[in-house]
Amino acid sequence: MGSLFRSEKVTLCQLFLQSEAAYNCVSELGEIGLVQFRDLNPDVNAFQRKFVNEVRRCDEMERKLRFLEKEIKKDEIPMLDTGDNPEAPQPREMIDLEATFEKLENEMKEVNANAEALKRNFLELTELKHILRKTQVFFEEEERNVVADAQLALHADEAPVLASQPLQLGFVAGVILRERIPAFERMLWRACRGNVFLRRAEIEIPLEDPVTGDQVNKSVFIIFFQGEQLKQRVKKICEGFRATLYPCPETQAERREMAIGVMTRIEDLNTVLSQTQDHRHRVLVAAAKNIKVWFNKVRKIKAIYHTLNMFNLDVTQKCLISECWCPVDDLDRIQAALRRGTERSGSSVPSILNRMTTKQEPPTYNKTNKLTGAFQGLIDAYGVATYREVNPAPFAIITFPFLFAIMFGDTGHGIIMFLFGLWMVVKEKSLGASKSDNEIWNTFFGGRYLIMMMGLFSIYTGLIYNDIFSKSMNIFGSSWNADIAYPGDMGNNVEKLMLAKTYRLNPNSTNWSKEPYPFGMDPAWQFATNKLMYVNSFKMKMSVTIGVMQMMFGVILSLFNHVHFGNYLNIYAEFIPQIIFLAFIFLYLVVIIIAKWIYFDPITMNTNCAPALLIGFINMFMFNYPNKDASPTPPCSSLTWYDGQQVIQTLLVVCALICAPWMLLVKPIILRQRSRQVKTAISVNSGDIRNQISENVEVVHHDETVLIVDEEVEKFEFGDIFIHQVIHTIEYCLGCISNTASYLRLWALSLAHAELSEVLWNMVFRIGLGIDGWLGAIMVPVVFAPWACLTIAILLLMEGLSAFLHTLRLHWVEFDNKFYSGSGYLFTPFSFDDIMDVPSGLGDD
Amino acid sequence: MNSVNFNINFGYLEGLCRGFKGGILKQTDYINLVQCEILEDLKLHLQSTDYGSFLANEPSPLSVSVIDDKLKEKLVIEFQHMRIHSVEPLSTFLDFITYGYMIDNIILLITGTLHQRDIRELIPKCHPLGSFEQMEAIHIANTPAELYNAVLVDTPLAPYFMDCISEQDLDEMNIEIIRNTLYKAYLEDFYKFCSTIGGSTTEVMCEALAVSLLTYMSDSLKYVCIFCIVQFEADRRAFIITINSFGTELTKDDRAKLYPRCGKLHPDGLAKLAQADEYEQVKVVADYYGEYKPLFDGAGTGPGEKTLEDRFFEKEVKIMMSAFMQQFHFGVFYAYLKLKEQECRNIIWISECVAQKHKAKIDSYIPIF
Repeated sequence: MGSLFRSEKVTLCQLFLQSEAAYNCVSELGEIGLVQFRDLNPDVNAFQRKFVNEVRRCDEMERKLRFLEKEIKKDEIPMLDTGDNPEAPQPREMIDLEATFEKLENEMKEVNANAEALKRNFLELTELKHILRKTQVFFEEEERNVVADAQLALHADEAPVLASQPLQLGFVAGVILRERIPAFERMLWRACRGNVFLRRAEIEIPLEDPVTGDQVNKSVFIIFFQGEQLKQRVKKICEGFRATLYPCPETQAERREMAIGVMTRIEDLNTVLSQTQDHRHRVLVAAAKNIKVWFNKVRKIKAIYHTLNMFNLDVTQKCLISECWCPVDDLDRIQAALRRGTERSGSSVPSILNRMTTKQEPPTYNKTNKLTGAFQGLIDAYGVATYREVNPAPFAIITFPFLFAIMFGDTGHGIIMFLFGLWMVVKEKSLGASKSDNEIWNTFFGGRYLIMMMGLFSIYTGLIYNDIFSKSMNIFGSSWNADIAYPGDMGNNVEKLMLAKTYRLNPNSTNWSKEPYPFGMDPAWQFATNKLMYVNSFKMKMSVTIGVMQMMFGVILSLFNHVHFGNYLNIYAEFIPQIIFLAFIFLYLVVIIIAKWIYFDPITMNTNCAPALLIGFINMFMFNYPNKDASPTPPCSSLTWYDGQQVIQTLLVVCALICAPWMLLVKPIILRQRSRQVKTAISVNSGDIRNQISENVEVVHHDETVLIVDEEVEKFEFGDIFIHQVIHTIEYCLGCISNTASYLRLWALSLAHAELSEVLWNMVFRIGLGIDGWLGAIMVPVVFAPWACLTIAILLLMEGLSAFLHTLRLHWVEFDNKFYSGSGYLFTPFSFDDIMDVPSGLGDD
Repeated sequence: MNSVNFNINFGYLEGLCRGFKGGILKQTDYINLVQCEILEDLKLHLQSTDYGSFLANEPSPLSVSVIDDKLKEKLVIEFQHMRIHSVEPLSTFLDFITYGYMIDNIILLITGTLHQRDIRELIPKCHPLGSFEQMEAIHIANTPAELYNAVLVDTPLAPYFMDCISEQDLDEMNIEIIRNTLYKAYLEDFYKFCSTIGGSTTEVMCEALAVSLLTYMSDSLKYVCIFCIVQFEADRRAFIITINSFGTELTKDDRAKLYPRCGKLHPDGLAKLAQADEYEQVKVVADYYGEYKPLFDGAGTGPGEKTLEDRFFEKEVKIMMSAFMQQFHFGVFYAYLKLKEQECRNIIWISECVAQKHKAKIDSYIPIF
């Protein structure tokens, strides 16, 4: 168990790094990730630190990389993630990197600018093309109108005037964003007092905006007006609404000519544009190959300088001083890393690592692997262990899935859960590589080993309970004989019972094969009407037994803590009374539960006279032992059932009760005495006169001297300690009772789970099974679907979650509070691995 | 609207707004900011505040205008987020806030075109909160009537513009009058709207006659907060108009018309202000009002003295802060926007000082906390 039982030994070290070697050393330390640096300049602003310029350069590089990444993503080029981990580049390489990025960015910008210009050109030409095409329609209509007008005019007097009118009309044509049209039209109408005529047509294909690259819908419009002043005004409005105006020839022939010209230009432009795109694509593909590596490199450099910013400069400016926490066992590796770093930098002066003594509490560092990590996470969620305290995580590896399985006891559900866990464990590489953002999935995936273990244990408890999807399996043959007369030899006992449909198994019956069912519960109970009573009694007692065992174990673990921290006062002032209190009351209860199971069977004894545990337990505390000869005769179950029971029980209760004041008083009184001894020792040392005075004073003003000395030595507040001890004692004594009751949740949840799955079977699946003939053949698969869905959703997910939470609670509250203070803080080493997991896109949203 | 139901519709946004307010820079941030040597330092420090990486994608060297743009952008995004998620009457309330920026934008554009500036140059200078569709076409208007008929008639500002149509043409003087008239009408309308928010609840509650009176009382108490804010804005405007009008050909009668008819100065103070001829007389008027007296005392343009404008800003910050002391009212949204604007002004001030290496006056920002 080693390191998992207690956290690693961690020591405070002082690091002296030559300025030229510092960068490489920190880089090596970052690779091994075993050192937690302390910030030695917490009061200095971020921008006033030593290496702020380097950090800033890294920021700038990251910005360029983000820009490149954005461009790459825009073109949907896959970014190669080789997963290899480049070493942090040397500081001098930073200039190369910077130059590379600078060049790439400039190239990209140039390409983009070119592409934008080309696209703008392209857009203009396309718009012009559309204008020519659409206006053609307008003009054709116009001409028809003109012809109509002209024909009409032949009959009218003012014919020449009317006929000449269309010629004087000026017009502008342009393109505008579609959503702006209503306001545009309104404004035109208002500003020109209705003296303009606007026609518009939608461009069906969305066009690409050259700046943003978005697809936008646009419309072609053409405005007819009369006079120069109106023209100016219309143009101003068009400008205001960002409409682009294009020259549109008046005659049809010119228009056609122009359209042909535009078409050829568009084709030319298309070739140029595709060449530009190709070039852009080539540049980006080349960049995409390296971008992940570059990101990693830049992040590493930044992290190193960030760390260097936490260091102090010594007086000679020649070396950097840092303080860090290092695990003692890994000091050699750290030294080696420092040597490597020094060598790499070519510095002749070695880096020095000094161990320091400190009064500060070191951080808690538990080395974990994939399996233990999940359990350690559960414990750390409650509170990080105090430095070198007994860590509950290794025990949780077994107890956690086991307590869960007691509540989730069903082999069928267990198998499903186990398989799900197993799938995640087997596929963990490929699943882990596809980093998902789904929080729920990540939670499940993080706990894959936990889920697998919980499934495995559930299979086991399911076999004990003999529950598979709420049904029992008759593997070894039931031990019960059905003592009902049933005509004919029906063979197997269980079959007989099945035919009887309902049957009440009499625990007092001698009608059994004298051999208990070899493993788990007898399947015969499945048909018994009194199954629930039997199961409840069994599970209740089992919960109490397991609960008391776990609590006892917790109290014993506290002994390890006391011994380790050399706190011997706590052993005889706290641990011994605690264990006595727990053992004499609750362990005794467990003992009589088991004794009752063993000694009372229908063959040797009258089971009616088996002791009633609850009544007996209450009587034990009341010191009330009913007399056999009393009238009215008490029920025989409340009588004593072994010799000397009264004496033993009385003794147990008295001893347990004595423990309460023991816990309450001994520790504060002894502490007070100790502080007084210290006080007298000091007063003896501080010279004769002082001695005399203090002796006199001590007689007269007892309390005052205590106060004076306390301030000199250390604060000893008797009141505080006493109140704290009162709280502690009450908490423990009441806690034992309430925690034992709390363990009954094992029974309750297990009952709920079994009943729910039985109800689900009876109400849903049995409908299908109950139908005879071909209809039944259809109904079974039809009914199976809802049954399976409900099983997964309710029994596996909901019930599983609730059982999980209750298990968590049992560990955090009932088990941990017996020994675990959890007031430490986590060891967070400077490691490159943590940095690499950061999602790359900062400016992506 | 009462406190019981307030949270159903506006609880989320109020909480959000209070959360945003929590991100306003503290005194310690300012102390750090004024120590900056170059703008990059400023960026580095702002990274550790709620601003986060808002400048991360800007290539260095930074310029003050880039910081200004980004600050504005962030504020606008926050405001728009609240506006989009709001329901009546809060959405109208938030719209009302934007009208003020619209007026500023219109005035900016008209003044700009008056000075023959290209409208394309002017558009980026407009505040994004007050932009509206017809804004860019504003330069077709040569007279106020045209301005109204062609451009403003579709905007929510149309009713406020009624009083200005009579003006003959757009010159500097008239623009200033238009601006103040618009502001006056806008403030009065906003004031009226704020009263109706409280009153509407009363209407609903009128059916339970016995309760109605109580509800009204409590509502009016709650909206005192909003009133105070709007009142203050109105009063400030009156003072500023008066002081700025000295030395121009604006007649006293015209001036009186520009005073918003709400706020604490209304009606007696405004009547006196209308008669004022010089700064000292304005000060006399302010002396009658406890909350404005200290602003004028010791305000001046000399070194070491704070200008009257700064004094008013300080007062504004105080009032806005006190708006956060109460719950279940809309005042917080207005207050947040104003506080944030002040913060932007502070950051810009500091970054201007940093950029020009002119550290002497760097401390004359207006701290919020």
